[in-house]
Amino acid sequence: MKMSLLLLRDEVTKAEAFVFKNWIMTRRNVFTLFEILFWPVVGFLSVGLLAEFAAVKQEMRAFILVGVISMGTIQVCQLDVAYVLLYDVWSKAVKHGFIAPVGMRHLFVGSWIVGMARGGAVFSMLMGASYLIFNFDFMVPGVGPLCLFLFGLFLSAATVGILVCILVLIFGNRAEVAAWSLVSLMLLVCGIYYPVTVLPKAVIVLAELIPLTYFLEYFRHFYGFEPIFSYVLVKGYSLAFSYLLLEVFLMKVALRRAKRRGLLLRLSE
Amino acid sequence: MNYAIEVRGLWKTFVSGWPRRRRKEALKGVDLFVPEGAFWGILGPNGAGKTTLLSILSNLLTPEEGEVRVLGMDIRTHAMELCKRINLSSGHANFLWSMTVRENLVYYAMLYGLSGRRRQQRVEDLLYLFDLRDSAKVRFDELSTGMKQKLSLAKAFLNEPDLLLLDEPTVGLDPDVARRVRELIQNQHRERETTILMTTHNMREAETLCEQIAFIKDGTIMACGRPQDLKRNLRLGDTILITFHGTLPVPTIEHMPGVYSVQRTGSSCRILVDDHRERLLQILDLFSSKSVFIDDLRIQESDLEDVFIAFAR
Repeated sequence: MKMSLLLLRDEVTKAEAFVFKNWIMTRRNVFTLFEILFWPVVGFLSVGLLAEFAAVKQEMRAFILVGVISMGTIQVCQLDVAYVLLYDVWSKAVKHGFIAPVGMRHLFVGSWIVGMARGGAVFSMLMGASYLIFNFDFMVPGVGPLCLFLFGLFLSAATVGILVCILVLIFGNRAEVAAWSLVSLMLLVCGIYYPVTVLPKAVIVLAELIPLTYFLEYFRHFYGFEPIFSYVLVKGYSLAFSYLLLEVFLMKVALRRAKRRGLLLRLSE
Repeated sequence: MNYAIEVRGLWKTFVSGWPRRRRKEALKGVDLFVPEGAFWGILGPNGAGKTTLLSILSNLLTPEEGEVRVLGMDIRTHAMELCKRINLSSGHANFLWSMTVRENLVYYAMLYGLSGRRRQQRVEDLLYLFDLRDSAKVRFDELSTGMKQKLSLAKAFLNEPDLLLLDEPTVGLDPDVARRVRELIQNQHRERETTILMTTHNMREAETLCEQIAFIKDGTIMACGRPQDLKRNLRLGDTILITFHGTLPVPTIEHMPGVYSVQRTGSSCRILVDDHRERLLQILDLFSSKSVFIDDLRIQESDLEDVFIAFAR
């Protein structure tokens, strides 16, 4: 009993280390304000105002605002997961982290917690703003569905953030651009501003492989948009968890490759 | 004898470039056995494979071939257990730039599983030990090179490692700070009996700190032993410079035990001996018996730098 408590404390402390690192680095980074306030707010306002100007119907506005707010939330949350490695890469301190007795689970759980806090802050802020400025109520589906939707967004963000880390461990710091571009690719495919039915068939198949597509479908159905896919929540969560498991495996493979090729040393020089 | 490090037939090749692959063999069948509690140095020219060896021992690199056992465990199968018991400090250290000295130590202490009061106490102890208390709230990117190096060493002692790997720990430091850093390392080695393997370019540092030296060149260990043994094996010896008047019995001196060579130029001579402490008295006796009068006598001891140059050639 005492042994398992000690082990649990060890696990918590190691995950807490990454919460601590991301939190301190976030607090001291002037671009954090831009990430949390500027880009999501600019995106939200410009799209919202465009909808006003185009005099789209109330339900269409709901469709677009759900998309744009989800986008801002995912972008902020996934950045934190990616930052867990990128901060070390930018500081050229990669080797110190990897010689310590920590596992991938500590790395990602810790950074994801900070990502959820920051993403949650963005979501709450934009939710309030959409109510005040565009008279759009995010609470219509109720607290339960809202939490399920938000957690789905956070899981999607984690899959993107971990993918960025994998790419960095394979291609070095050239891959850091993925931290900003992967979400934009999702914007095209997952139906952020338009239903996936407008996409070419081949791209719809791609959209079906991305969990965010289903989470958006799930939340929008509370605003009168019938989902084009069945069992959206089940599919969304199943895909997200499957990708997380796959990515943890791929991360281990990428780390082994980086150790074989000396990338960890090059990233520390 | 128990070994902290056992390396047998270690090979490491780096492959780079695309589409044309370039291969560089960094280690070519290295064997190394470092006893527990020892302080060993690895010397060698740039690109010899020193950092590669240390990186393999600290599990940052995987070798292609060879057996590596650290603290009695295979590094491939017991990586996580070993991570808890070893640590690394390198010259030109980099840490998270916007964290303060204390925050960096707290972060790495957490990575080693230290929590609560134990972590707080350990961090405060190390801040005190490495004279970092006044800089505790200074961000890493605002620290001087010396302070960064001290932070790197403090971080390396966070988990009280059984094996400490030091990669050029005093590089780029001014002599005063370098001396203090050396003292700190030596004190830790004495007090905790930590096994230390250190790479350095500083010969005096190696000679002062290390009990044994391994010379590595082109990925191969060329020689290994105590500094004085290495000098003896290379027949570098010491030089006795004597200015005299009288008739010098050169052939007699040449046949004395421990004398490598004698060179006479006018009224001065240069005698190369294995160890001046053992040979000088006999030479002086010979001078006296042959009525050769000494006007001046100087001794030049060969040091590790000469050994380094001899091996690096």
